[in-house]
Amino acid sequence: MSAATRRRMMRFASQLGTLFCAALLVSPALFFFLWMISLSLKLEIDNGAYPPIFIPTHIAWKNYSGVFASNNFFLYFWNSIVVTGTATLLALIVGVPAGYGIARMKASKSAIVIMIARMTPGLSYLIPMFLIFQWLGLLGTLAPQIIIHLVVTVPIVIWVMIGYFETTPLELEEAAMIDGANRWQIFSQVTLPIARPGIVVSLILSVIFSWNNFIFGVVLAGRDTRTLPVAVYNMLSFEQVSWGPLAAAALVVTFPVLVLTIVAQRQIVAGLTAGAVKGG
Amino acid sequence: MTGIWTPTRRQFMATTATGLATAGMGGFGAAAATSSVDWKKFAGTTLEVNLIKSPRGDILQKYQSEFEALTGIKVNSEQIPEQQQRQKAVIELSSGKPSFDVVHLSFHVQKRQFEKGGWLADLTPFIADPALTPGGFWDDFGEAGKAFAKDTNKIGGLPLSVDYWIVYYNKELFEKKGLKYPTTFEELEATAIALTDPKTQTYGFAARGIKNANTPVWTTFMLGHDSYSVDASGKLLTETAAAIEAAKLYQRLLTKASPRGISGYNWMECQSAFLQGRVGMWLDGIGFAPPLEDPEKSRVVGKVGYGVMPKGPKAHASGTFGDGIGVAAASTKQGAGYLYCQWAVSKEMGTRLLQTGSGVPFRNSILNDPQVKAGVTMPGGWVDAIAGSAAVSRLALPVIIPVAEFRDVFGIALTNMISGADPEAELKRATAEFQPILERSEKG
Amino acid sequence: MTLASAGERRASQQARRLSGSRKVGRISYWPFVLPALVVVSAVVVFPWAFTLWMSVSEWKVGEPYHFVGFANYLRLLHDQRFLQSIGRTLLYTVLSVVAPMVIGTLAALLFNEKMPARGLLRGIFVMPMMATPVAIALVWTMMFHPQLGVLNYLLSLIGLDPQDWVFAPDTVIASLVMVETWQWSPLVMLIVLGGLASLPADPYESARIDGANAFQRFWYLTLPMILPFLLVAMTIRMIDALKSFDIIYAITQGGPGTASETTNLYLYSVAFAYAEIGYGSAIAVLFFLLIVVLSLVLLHVRELSGRILGTTK
Repeated sequence: MSAATRRRMMRFASQLGTLFCAALLVSPALFFFLWMISLSLKLEIDNGAYPPIFIPTHIAWKNYSGVFASNNFFLYFWNSIVVTGTATLLALIVGVPAGYGIARMKASKSAIVIMIARMTPGLSYLIPMFLIFQWLGLLGTLAPQIIIHLVVTVPIVIWVMIGYFETTPLELEEAAMIDGANRWQIFSQVTLPIARPGIVVSLILSVIFSWNNFIFGVVLAGRDTRTLPVAVYNMLSFEQVSWGPLAAAALVVTFPVLVLTIVAQRQIVAGLTAGAVKGG
Repeated sequence: MTGIWTPTRRQFMATTATGLATAGMGGFGAAAATSSVDWKKFAGTTLEVNLIKSPRGDILQKYQSEFEALTGIKVNSEQIPEQQQRQKAVIELSSGKPSFDVVHLSFHVQKRQFEKGGWLADLTPFIADPALTPGGFWDDFGEAGKAFAKDTNKIGGLPLSVDYWIVYYNKELFEKKGLKYPTTFEELEATAIALTDPKTQTYGFAARGIKNANTPVWTTFMLGHDSYSVDASGKLLTETAAAIEAAKLYQRLLTKASPRGISGYNWMECQSAFLQGRVGMWLDGIGFAPPLEDPEKSRVVGKVGYGVMPKGPKAHASGTFGDGIGVAAASTKQGAGYLYCQWAVSKEMGTRLLQTGSGVPFRNSILNDPQVKAGVTMPGGWVDAIAGSAAVSRLALPVIIPVAEFRDVFGIALTNMISGADPEAELKRATAEFQPILERSEKG
Repeated sequence: MTLASAGERRASQQARRLSGSRKVGRISYWPFVLPALVVVSAVVVFPWAFTLWMSVSEWKVGEPYHFVGFANYLRLLHDQRFLQSIGRTLLYTVLSVVAPMVIGTLAALLFNEKMPARGLLRGIFVMPMMATPVAIALVWTMMFHPQLGVLNYLLSLIGLDPQDWVFAPDTVIASLVMVETWQWSPLVMLIVLGGLASLPADPYESARIDGANAFQRFWYLTLPMILPFLLVAMTIRMIDALKSFDIIYAITQGGPGTASETTNLYLYSVAFAYAEIGYGSAIAVLFFLLIVVLSLVLLHVRELSGRILGTTK
């Protein structure tokens, strides 16, 4: 056996070992989501069975049709899109320049102020916000939820962008400045295009965390303004076990985010890899 | 001590102590005869209705279009899970500008709180108005329902559905061991232990072990010792001999005859285990029955016995709870809101409630109607359990403002007992903790 | 020494950046920051002012405002449930920081290697962090069921005794931490991957020539260099673990008894279930102070370690 073959075999073996470790590492996540799918496709009687039944004897599609048929599902879906979309867009509009400013000022201490928003227990926002929105007469609309979701989205965007801008080279900006560009031109024409991967990451993370938020909606949402996570939890009915429909609803809610994760995982990793979290 | 208790309360406790015994199956006939109700009076109004997610809420939503056609009132209704609905309703009502006109409430938790806040409109004038209410309407309700709804001279909400705690039992498991349904607490314990067989993962008894939800189990046992948890003068009776005995029974049953992990069980886990045929007896509300008879959910269809709560050493009592539906005092559409409530508790809707097993109406004209009974889709044993429980019905939770705290504080004590803590010491500690909360709540 | 050369590199990099920033730093960047500052102040400052105001009142929902000074805070000092909740929160936090840090770092080292289907595997690993917490909590609840749950079945397959998981006071915290670890190790992994990608290649070459094995390379080279990243991950993880709510609320609601009632859960009960807004606000204030203090400690550690690393020579 030549040394080259042996080296190739060694490399193959070590790759196999790595792959095995990786498989082991992802198995809890994989098992969980497969089990969730299984739950969502079984009748109640099979969901409670012991030993557990992994592959349904009867596929209960009605768990899913029930979710879509339940009144207002599409309205709640739309509400989630509006709340998450608007809160993310606003966060990008104010957060990207802020991240830039903080990074360039080397004022990472001031980022701590931003972090306070993240440190505050979400519950303590609820009652003051409820009262002020009621006073403003905004409670029947989506505005309260959009505004309170800024608490989630703005810090994420600023946090990610500070780190990103800290690693983008200054030389280009300095050159542009010598050419007589003002700082707004520098930002929009020189820095922003380079920062696109960072913006993509902050967008994705902001969308995901806003989409998943549950507690704000419980208090601030009404019949027409509920978002999907709240709607799912509302499927828990008193006096009736309903694991199948719940699992189906849970999957439907999580599905968009999971797809986003799988599709965009390369960008997320790449964006964060660019030094995104170094700062702050 | 008594000074802080309003006459309403005392009066209320007095009526419940004596009056509840005749509740439910009382002798009033079908009074709701033909009426001159002007259903169209508020046509064109739009109502916001806030319901608790439950079979009751389901039925009201299912037939909502009938109400809209009948009255010309547009209804926007929503169902929210019990816990969140309670919290949201309190925040909204106390802010003075609730987003709803009609609200579904749990009398056994919220009666006193809603009364003290003055959150519900007084329905007395509407009930007295023949254009809105058929004759004999109010008298048709059982005593328990009336007691729930009344606040001195006011009526804060219409009684919608009563819930008795019964014992669901698995007849097959009983037959296998040659056992009979227990009639006393002693037999209950012995039977539960006899049914338990950890090797086959079968357990004799299940009831809520998780804090808060478990408190009614204990107070229900207390009723068998002829004792409430709070007396008519507002004094806590939670460290009396009766309270301790009841807690000991709770401890013995849940440690010796219950599935492992019972201290984390809510009704849902109990129901799942019972549906799979792994539990001999399960103590909980009568409204949990329909899934047990649904072949898509249950392995015990047709094998379920519905037992009235066994006799305690001093009294035979069935723990009783109740839902109501009322109109927000802050609503500008009280008339239309009242019509909705009146429709919700009408004979027709009550019949549907009973016949589907979704709940038990308070109205005698429904409960005593043989035709209604004939149409019930649940087994006969279930209907008999209603009648049997109604005869010995007693309120299981105290009528105080901080019911949530009461359930939490004593619930924690009970959970600790499942882990082996001494019942007497735990109850002493919990009582000391709860006493100031109770006093604070009635102040001012 | 290889370490020294790494330190040198770092220091020169820093110096370059600093001098650069001094030139550009003359321009005011406040206009860039201002809008965000306004937004954050609006959504943070007002609720905070309101919370402080409420915390010195006895405000039961439905009753008028009644100023009580520091009575709520004094009451907290004697509130056993509150005091116990703090201890529990700290325990929960320590476990929920350590376990994800270890697993997340290992995952990052692993996924930094080349392997087939790396993208897909990494995507699957990240899924728990992205999934809607309320939704996954409902599924975990069912998996934990001591009689009917699939977890005990899996244990029985490998010959282990069934567990009570979240259904018994002495195992509930560990079980919840398991969920928390499952959910949040990916975040640590992502941050550490960022750190690994920024590592220079040459120190590793010289280490290999010096004959250092894989563990030595990790311990003496990688770890010190990714330490800042680890500390960032740790800070974020700690804040999130302290505040953890969705998972605990949806799975145990603080039970059995109060065995998993963290301060945030207790805060929820007081403010929403008992409708004692004043008292709840006092809890929120103290709880927030706890978070801030712990975060500052970590930030301090981070700066300290940065200084030590920067002057390694």
